[in-house]
Amino acid sequence: MSEFAAESTFICSFPFVLERWWFFACTTFRITLACTVCFWIGSQVGCSTHAKRLATPRNHFFDGRLDECKKGLEKLSKSRHDKDVVNLDLAIVDLLSGKPKIAEQRLKLARNRFEELESESLTEKTVSMWTDDQVRSYAGEDYEKILIRAFLALTNLLSDGADAESYTLQLQAKHEELVQACAEKTKSNTPPTYKPLPLGFYLRGMLREATFRDYDDAIRNYEAAASLLPHCQPIKWDLNRAKYGTHSQPGNGVVYVFALVGRGPYKVEVSEQPTSDALLIADRIVSAVGPYKLPPTIAPIKVPDIALPPTDVDAVAVSVAGATIGPTYSIADVGQLAMDSFRANRNAIVARAVARRVIKKATVAAAKETMKTDGLASIGMDIAGIAWEATEGADTRCWGLLPNDIQVMRIETPKGTPSIQLTPLRGGRPVGPSKQIDVTVFDGRNNYVLCWFPDARNQSQVVIAQ
Amino acid sequence: MDRREWLGMFGFLVCGPALGCKGYQYGHIIKPDAPNMVGSHEAGAEVFDPLVDEAVAKLLARQQTVTPDTPCGPDGLPCPKTICFVGIENKSMEDIGDFKDKLYQQIDSRLLEASTFRAISRRMVDAALFETRLRPDSLMIPDNMRLFTAVLERNGAPLDYLLYAVLTSGTTKRNSSTQRDYDLTLELVNVHTGITDKQSAEVRKGYHKTAAGKVWNYNPFKR
Repeated sequence: MSEFAAESTFICSFPFVLERWWFFACTTFRITLACTVCFWIGSQVGCSTHAKRLATPRNHFFDGRLDECKKGLEKLSKSRHDKDVVNLDLAIVDLLSGKPKIAEQRLKLARNRFEELESESLTEKTVSMWTDDQVRSYAGEDYEKILIRAFLALTNLLSDGADAESYTLQLQAKHEELVQACAEKTKSNTPPTYKPLPLGFYLRGMLREATFRDYDDAIRNYEAAASLLPHCQPIKWDLNRAKYGTHSQPGNGVVYVFALVGRGPYKVEVSEQPTSDALLIADRIVSAVGPYKLPPTIAPIKVPDIALPPTDVDAVAVSVAGATIGPTYSIADVGQLAMDSFRANRNAIVARAVARRVIKKATVAAAKETMKTDGLASIGMDIAGIAWEATEGADTRCWGLLPNDIQVMRIETPKGTPSIQLTPLRGGRPVGPSKQIDVTVFDGRNNYVLCWFPDARNQSQVVIAQ
Repeated sequence: MDRREWLGMFGFLVCGPALGCKGYQYGHIIKPDAPNMVGSHEAGAEVFDPLVDEAVAKLLARQQTVTPDTPCGPDGLPCPKTICFVGIENKSMEDIGDFKDKLYQQIDSRLLEASTFRAISRRMVDAALFETRLRPDSLMIPDNMRLFTAVLERNGAPLDYLLYAVLTSGTTKRNSSTQRDYDLTLELVNVHTGITDKQSAEVRKGYHKTAAGKVWNYNPFKR
């Protein structure tokens, strides 16, 4: 009894109360500090995604205000993590502003940069496990790597055309490499379902045919394009011409109209709800039966997804000197390629997001264990953990200024300067104002025209090969 | 924090950034006598180089034979034959991509090095094809041949022979292993007489899904 009295006296003594108060104050300070840090990280990382930052320049671009769009993109390109991907958008703006050389330079830069980034940085990978995927250098999606080469070929054709053939070869090689890599990554014997772009085969066939010598190459490439587009009649005509005819009749030249149609795919942030729910159940089970109390998965797991805006233009009618030639036909369904290639890699993105959550939960549990927290302090740390998880944002960086479809029309016409009229179509009917251009056609040579009709209400930008 | 934890953390901090350096690309010059890389999925320099060497050497050896009908110059030596190398047709299973133009230049250069032939510039051949709008595979039609030779003669390049190169392949499959035989055939056609000379070279190559595939399919105990 006397011992107990002595102890009670000791517990209630002033130094002990002071010590307890000091301990409580320190713990509260640490929790507050942790929360502040988490919210600061959140404000830096999770709150603003690339999709949100790109929205205004993208709207300017589709409204035809290229200068304003360029200014907006140049501001974005100052960020270290956005620089590479914004370079791709700037290339498109330069291309449609009639500067294919500059566009080609930008695309080459992006191609080389993405090649470099194909081997991942362990540091960035580690840091991304504590923050989110936005801190990683953007190495490009598979479909972007393929399209960079496609656009390199197009931009080169619009300048001097010297390297266009090399770019078409690179396009095909890259596609094969990516499909192989994807199959290896998923340990699957069946390669991913996304098909190669007929555009690469078509461009190569077109260029080989124009040599007047390598018709065998043209046949091979047109055959590959025709097998990918079995219902496309004009490609069968091209194939037939390569087999039995010649590039053009004496005195005639050829104009290729490349039409970029519609607004292309871009990434948006979505909640991966089934995975979030499963993780919540899992962490509740671990907390109930295990020695550690984990913060609950309240903040949903966020992953990027591909959005494809609806389009009101599906082809472009081509007329030469008042005579209707026909509508352009698709040789690269960009939207479908983006969907397919993203789907092939989506599981890896979700798996990374889950691994990140597990690491964060383990960190909070370890901190609680080290600090021996319980009661209010434990709840505080759980709240900090939830806040930390909520700061995650999906990596929505992407090439935002892509068309939905790349189409083509071949016109053989006598040499001279014919007037060509381009009209946007929807279901075979004109839906917008026509654009008239004069193109110089040389005997036996190809000439190239590129236009973009993002929607019916906007006038197309047209670029003619120099 | 005990010593092991501390060492682990230290090792991670020191080695992490070093391991995490991004992969840059490096290049190096390959010595002329170094062997070619062997392509894992399709033919490359390891197939095409020996094909060109062998086919051209065989053709030159045959064409250097002097017969009583061989036209000779005032010095008594056989006159060089003027040939027009029309091009390479790829009829193999694989797309040879950028090798096609390389093969053309390789064959053309080898022919020029020999005194047996005097080759017409590729640019003149291209110009004649462009002007006549003829397909290379249609030059054997007599009217087309006359038109083509007339254009070349007018441009100061009369010719005696047309040379075609054809690349073909044959594939044999055995479970997960494949053997592909590549043939390069050089066909020389005398435009005056229509007489043809043909020489070919072959390289066989095996493709396997496993490293043991080569040993399994090509060992001395197999027939």
